[in-house]
Amino acid sequence: MAAERVLVPLSDTVTVRQTVGYAVQSGLERADELEVHLVVALPHEADLIEGQQETEAAKELLSKAANWVREDAGSGPITVETTLLGTDEYLFGPRDFASAFDDYAREHDIELVVLDPEYQPGATAQMLQSIERELDAVGLAYDEAPVERPARHERLVGDGTERFDRLFALFWISYGFYLILGDPTYWFDLVTGAAVAGIVSVSLAHITFTFPLDRIQSPIRTLRFGLYVPYLIWEIVKANLAISIVILRPSLPIDPTMTRLNARVRGGLPLLALANSITLTPGTLVVRGDDQRLIVHTLIPSAREDLFDGSLERAVRFVFHGREAAAIASPRERGDTEILGGDEQ
Amino acid sequence: MIESIRFWAIIVLIAFGLFFTFVSAMGVLRLPDVYARAHTASQADTLGAGLALAAVALALGWQHATVYTVLLLFFVFITNPTAAHAIARSAAESGIDPWTKESEEEGETK
Repeated sequence: MAAERVLVPLSDTVTVRQTVGYAVQSGLERADELEVHLVVALPHEADLIEGQQETEAAKELLSKAANWVREDAGSGPITVETTLLGTDEYLFGPRDFASAFDDYAREHDIELVVLDPEYQPGATAQMLQSIERELDAVGLAYDEAPVERPARHERLVGDGTERFDRLFALFWISYGFYLILGDPTYWFDLVTGAAVAGIVSVSLAHITFTFPLDRIQSPIRTLRFGLYVPYLIWEIVKANLAISIVILRPSLPIDPTMTRLNARVRGGLPLLALANSITLTPGTLVVRGDDQRLIVHTLIPSAREDLFDGSLERAVRFVFHGREAAAIASPRERGDTEILGGDEQ
Repeated sequence: MIESIRFWAIIVLIAFGLFFTFVSAMGVLRLPDVYARAHTASQADTLGAGLALAAVALALGWQHATVYTVLLLFFVFITNPTAAHAIARSAAESGIDPWTKESEEEGETK
């Protein structure tokens, strides 16, 4: 009987240990021989400094997981392979992860993925599909490990400064909001506001900020976002006038097209900010987000040209990554744009 | 002097707000398919509602309720594109082909 091969994507979650255990146990029940492929997919470019740290952490996770497999298998006939994915390409979100797993599975003749229910496939945002749906789309069978997980408590030990930063930021944000709605000069509102902000920050800080805050970068980003808003409003007004003229003309000179834009932004939040801005600007409407490939419906040619010139993308890069990052070739020059025919999706 | 500038600024803001809301309504009636309508229904409306709220803020002057209208404006700007995206995406997922110039020439009117 041929060896059973399973692919287990790993990420640093509370349930990763149970997932590995399940993969080994269920695999040995189905077949006599088991080949476990452990992979960690890296969502960062490996040549960046923070990317190097992530690579180290990933390698450590892989060797730990390989030990778990040997521990669980006992003397069972089992082989372990460990691989890092995404070291030479930039994996963005669920779609990229699923296709990377699919490539790997084809190469090694693997039929089943054992998925950790808490698995984090790179950038996640509500507008992106989940990893399960993306795996369905590429036609790779997966089995979700039945794990018992504790409620999502934040880790109480370790990362003390990170935890404090989140609490601190959320406390002042909610306190500020409370006082804006209330009366900042009335002692009763000051006291109740502090109590409410305390409860909110303790109970929700780890949900609100899913990414680590940076003490210097995060306030600077907020300031740059403040610069971005007037620019965005100006763009909205300009585009609104263009659309209004088109709608009011009796001949209705519209030319609706579906286009695809590969946005060069990193992470879920910048992508969300970009997609939101594109949709806010009349004439362009984000229909789907497949990772960083945005499907945009454009109503008039001038709106399409503006989109391909990438001024909004540059502005979003300025907000999140600073001024140097804003100097990037336009999507048209990069060849990251495409006009889709009517037969696409 | 200041009062009359403020008065006329309010009038102008309301007039433009009405204009964009009117254009938005017209767009919904005139444009051919759900995608094109989603553009105008949500977007011209953002500016229409936005200008009207700006006029309200100006009319209220420097008092506490003004802060609420500015916040309202902020939330309209966040939620409106989300709604437009949700409509467009569900249209795409239920397999509606976008209207193009060619499809009109072929006589496929929807």
